[in-house]
Amino acid sequence: MTLNRDFFVAVFFLVLSLGMYATTYTLPEPMFNQLASWTWPRIILVPLGFLSLVLMLQSQKSDDETVSFSTLRQWLVENSNPFVCFALFFGFLLFMPVLGMLIGGLIYVFLTLSVLGGWTPRLLALHAGISVVFVFGMWATFSLALGVLLPEGTILKVY
Amino acid sequence: MFENIALAAPELFTINTMMLMMAGTFAGLLAGAIPGFTIAMAVVLVLPFTFTMSPVQGLATMIAVYVGGLSGGLMSGILTGIPGTPSSVATTFDGYPLARSGKPGLALGIGVWSSFFGGVFAAIVLMLVAPQLALIGLEFQPVDYFALIIFALTVTASLSGDQMVKGLMSGLLGLLVATIGSDVVFGQPRFTFGSDNIEQGFSFLPVLVGIFAFGRLLGDVKSKEKAHQPLGGDTHVVHIDYIGSAKEVLRRWGNVLRSSTIGVFVGVLPAAGSTISNILAYDQAKKTSKERDQFGKGAIDGIIAPETANNATAGGALIVMMALGLPGDIMTAIMLGALLIHDVIPSPSFITDEPKIAYSIFLAFFVANFMMLALQSVTLRGFVLITRVKLYMLTAVILFYCALGMFALNNVSWDMWTLFFFGILGFFMRALGFPIVPLVLGVVLGKIAEARLSQVFARSDDITVFLSRPWSLFFLILACFSLVFPLYQKQVGKAAWTRFYPPVLLVVMAYPVFLMPGTIRPVVAVLMALAGLVLAGIQIKRGHVPQQPE
Repeated sequence: MTLNRDFFVAVFFLVLSLGMYATTYTLPEPMFNQLASWTWPRIILVPLGFLSLVLMLQSQKSDDETVSFSTLRQWLVENSNPFVCFALFFGFLLFMPVLGMLIGGLIYVFLTLSVLGGWTPRLLALHAGISVVFVFGMWATFSLALGVLLPEGTILKVY
Repeated sequence: MFENIALAAPELFTINTMMLMMAGTFAGLLAGAIPGFTIAMAVVLVLPFTFTMSPVQGLATMIAVYVGGLSGGLMSGILTGIPGTPSSVATTFDGYPLARSGKPGLALGIGVWSSFFGGVFAAIVLMLVAPQLALIGLEFQPVDYFALIIFALTVTASLSGDQMVKGLMSGLLGLLVATIGSDVVFGQPRFTFGSDNIEQGFSFLPVLVGIFAFGRLLGDVKSKEKAHQPLGGDTHVVHIDYIGSAKEVLRRWGNVLRSSTIGVFVGVLPAAGSTISNILAYDQAKKTSKERDQFGKGAIDGIIAPETANNATAGGALIVMMALGLPGDIMTAIMLGALLIHDVIPSPSFITDEPKIAYSIFLAFFVANFMMLALQSVTLRGFVLITRVKLYMLTAVILFYCALGMFALNNVSWDMWTLFFFGILGFFMRALGFPIVPLVLGVVLGKIAEARLSQVFARSDDITVFLSRPWSLFFLILACFSLVFPLYQKQVGKAAWTRFYPPVLLVVMAYPVFLMPGTIRPVVAVLMALAGLVLAGIQIKRGHVPQQPE
């Protein structure tokens, strides 16, 4: 048995299909002679489970290398920039109720620019300028010109 | 027809209306070009301004925003790889690679001209055969819609080529995601696991933008060197060759005509819309192209097909809205609201009862396409400056714009979280070799498919209806052939069975066409069957000559 990438993906999908299929039994029966709320999910889950098995079989025929800790670590290192961006975006959303769209946006854009672009004084000034112009510009367009109530945060009460 | 045009023209061609249309087209172009800002938002924002206008002026302005928005979407789709709406998903397949290969000017030029030709084709169809075409829409029942959606999903999976299994799994995962939230029939919570937020389900725009924006942008900033490159590579001067682009599009007139026809046809079907048409047109362009291997790498036909089709769909949707009072998509739903506000009630006799307004709308749609072309020639020069911006700068700013735009859609913070979750999902699926377009379409079409299926079962439990209704059978057969197509493409010239794929397709498809009402379609069916039989006869006579390996 080859424990390559597609094998693990197939196992994940198989478990997902089985788990979701089991969950459909907790859904209520229809009140009238209508389509039950579990019918459509089951129509989807049966072929999804079947295709997971097909993928599992295909994975055993392929020449893909076996997944090991070193290949996983290499992949994580190669994708460190995207992961940092995800973490920053997560922080932006998490602190939205406190910082609001404007302050949160300014901090998020500035940090993302600096993490990806660099931290030299010249770049920091450039990043600060970009953050102010583009974040404030868009925030002003939406909240002042279009009247959209953006999250104001507990720090800055705009309205 | 000409007397109706003469009646409508003086009402439409006034300086005021033309100025309003120009402003509307510009607003639409801007809205479509900014990632996270949707055409629907732009049209909704314009709607209150039209209350004080005459019906013709108001509707002409809104149509101008609509046409401008459809074409503006291609700018962000081609230059950043993020489709602003599901109607420009397929444009990114080849538009973005062509722009990244140092030809953003050509990609944009092709896109603009394709949009223009698609729009003009639809406008002409609108004026010539609107009432007759609308009747085809009436033939469609829930079972036919369901079959059409299944066909659209198999098409996207078949576009995945070698990754067919993963493509199908991706589409099914999309359908599964669409089931999360509340059941479309009774509104009961489903797969919510006790979360109130999940009970709202996932809106398709945050899903779409999340999957494309995060996947594309974060893929571009993986390494420091890549992140510091400008979007357009080392190309410093972006030249937009309008005449060259127009010639390229006209040289591929067959693709333009086919994609426009697909666009109008899908537009005529209520609630089908450009989400489906751009993918179907792309698929057909790929299947018929001699440069199939170039698709996905920057094929010109791959830009022409979706851009022509989505603009043509807008025309088709207007036909149904006016002739039947049925909105084909969210845009025509808003337009229908605008008509009702002005005390104009669409009905099958609307075009004959209100020729001045109906033909003003047709003419406005026609004129708006010319305005879009003129304005694009100015705005494109400004917009291509984006290709000189470093990728990491674009990434940071666009991701923020996406979050802001998604929040503004419904004023719900959950939509921003949806954007984030699906960004992660899209990133991992890409990394694991899954095509993401079927996933997006699954999410977009899932709820519609379930609603149609529930309507089918509300009428009867008899599942043979899928085979007894001509349109349903038509699409299900097409879906089967579509699934086999990647194998055919791989084996053509090598395996004996591939010689019979086109003739069998023709003969089998002739059956549902023969069952359709009227006299023209049965005659076409007989011709199809005869052509199939002749082709099969030729193949049998010729025998199997396997291709020599190179």
